[in-house]
Amino acid sequence: MAELPAGVVQAFFARTCCNYWNVLRSGRSSYGNLVSVRRVALKSQEEMQLNYFTGEQETEQMKKTGFIYDDTYLQHNTGDWHPESSERLRVIVNGLKESGLLEKLVRIEAEPANQRWVEAVHHVNYIMRFNDACAMGLPDFDHQENSICRESFKAALLAAGGVIKAIDSIMVGDVETAFCAVRPPGHHAEVDKAMGFCYFNNVAIGARYAQRQWGMKRVGIIDFDVHHGNGTQHIFETDPTVFYYSIHEHPSFAYPGTGRDFECGVAAGEGTTKNSVILPGRGDHDYRRKLTEDLIPAFKKFQPDMILVSAGFDAHAADMMSGVNLSTDGYDFVSELIMNLANALTDGKVVSILEGGYNLELLPLLVENHIKHLAGLRGV
Amino acid sequence: MFVIERMSTDLITALPDMKIGQAYDLMKERRIRHLPVSDGEGKLVGMVSDRDMRSAMPSKLLDSDSYEATLKKVMNFTLAEIMTREPVKIFVYYTIQDVLLIMRKYKVGAVPVVDDDGYLKGILSTRDLLSAFVDVMGIDEPGALLCILSDDRQGQMKKIVDIVTEERISLGSVLVSKSLEQDRKAVFPYLLTNNVARVKTRLIEAGFELTDPMQWYFDQLPKKQ
Ligand SMILES: [Zn+2]
Repeated sequence: MAELPAGVVQAFFARTCCNYWNVLRSGRSSYGNLVSVRRVALKSQEEMQLNYFTGEQETEQMKKTGFIYDDTYLQHNTGDWHPESSERLRVIVNGLKESGLLEKLVRIEAEPANQRWVEAVHHVNYIMRFNDACAMGLPDFDHQENSICRESFKAALLAAGGVIKAIDSIMVGDVETAFCAVRPPGHHAEVDKAMGFCYFNNVAIGARYAQRQWGMKRVGIIDFDVHHGNGTQHIFETDPTVFYYSIHEHPSFAYPGTGRDFECGVAAGEGTTKNSVILPGRGDHDYRRKLTEDLIPAFKKFQPDMILVSAGFDAHAADMMSGVNLSTDGYDFVSELIMNLANALTDGKVVSILEGGYNLELLPLLVENHIKHLAGLRGV
Repeated sequence: MFVIERMSTDLITALPDMKIGQAYDLMKERRIRHLPVSDGEGKLVGMVSDRDMRSAMPSKLLDSDSYEATLKKVMNFTLAEIMTREPVKIFVYYTIQDVLLIMRKYKVGAVPVVDDDGYLKGILSTRDLLSAFVDVMGIDEPGALLCILSDDRQGQMKKIVDIVTEERISLGSVLVSKSLEQDRKAVFPYLLTNNVARVKTRLIEAGFELTDPMQWYFDQLPKKQ
């Protein structure tokens, strides 16, 4: 891989300064300045008629894809034996670095979410309670499995803030799609209760932000984590402006035991919640069928202005957290179908947010494949 | 589990001389399908179900004039005329298991609960039984179900429970059933956790077989000869 001469960068930087200021000064970046520098090259290559990338000549058709990550996410320390560990993000970032994909992504720096946006989803008291629990150094919050440390509150705010920044970047046209490699995850978090390793519901906060800050009328959420996103469903179940679609292992077998296929929304929100349940072992076959039969017609009818994705990689056969046995190809199918939907309905606008995924050997590959779909490097 | 913990004590009752018309309105308004009838002192004397009501009503095949006239007459009869005297009843010290068998045997949808002196204390419907089972299985709480095949010999359950305990996971419930394989049992612990990866790995290491529940299901289907 050819290195970009510093002079070119500076010259370019002088011309396009503001957008890339954050990227260039990236002192906090865990993967160094060089990546950010290459990113600038990507942005500028058309203009300068230069191609600094050798090997795969993919960049021409590549969609500008944002990548949100911050070392602060690693500070949410869940202890030695916890499956939702900082190692998850470490292996993801390392994997993306090694495969060379990372340098093709637009680095977006997260900022802590303004509490106002967290309050758009969670009760003030709950936010305070969580803040206090972390500040007091308590070992867990609301359930013994929700391990916390003093930095957890900060990390959770930054996770939600990362989603917000991703939405901003799409709305101002810096990128077309974005992947948020954030933790703690969010989709189990209820309005006033932490559940299933989740504290702030990142995707829900993103949906409210897209609506209130950017005037998006209808937001569609697709949750392909193997567990039902009980929090997200409950937050939006009476709201006809946010469609929550989830595909997950049958609730008789998998945590948290909600998300049955007869749960379709409540009151005014009836019809804008949809759950596809997958029986154990039926992964690839049933994912194809249900996504095609349940998700596509529902979203075509709903006509979302933006699609947010709760991306969980724990449905894979090699992930002991679940039993649906989705294959790597099966995950490709899921990502491809989401992109096809987004291209048809939302001009390709998608923000994908990391939820679960606990097999550390496999997680980097699954995330990489998913991001390649977001970037238009795979599929149609 | 005793019925007293599960029965509904927020009772709506009627006296035997209540008019059918009144009782009809009462049942409709309170959305109940079974109305216990008690004497002035609260002793159970009968039961009226929505079925008893319906069979007392005039036929819809009548022309509308005769229908209205007959209906008016019917509505003026008292509950004493249509109620089931000596209804199937249970005592406060009965268990949920008793009631399951009783309701299946007598094909009733609700049973009144009385004390030893015959005073009405509550009523237990199929809906109460359903809630009892949701609670027994623990499925109202977030958790995950494991499907374990184990040899049918002593001490296996202890091994499973020990592993679950060592992983600091609470048990919601455990169902045990026969396996199709001889000398094997299927054990279904419902674990109140989102974190099943480690406990699954440890069970496999301890020699248990984690079954694919769908395989289990297909094995139960009758096979073609
Ligand atoms: Zn999950």
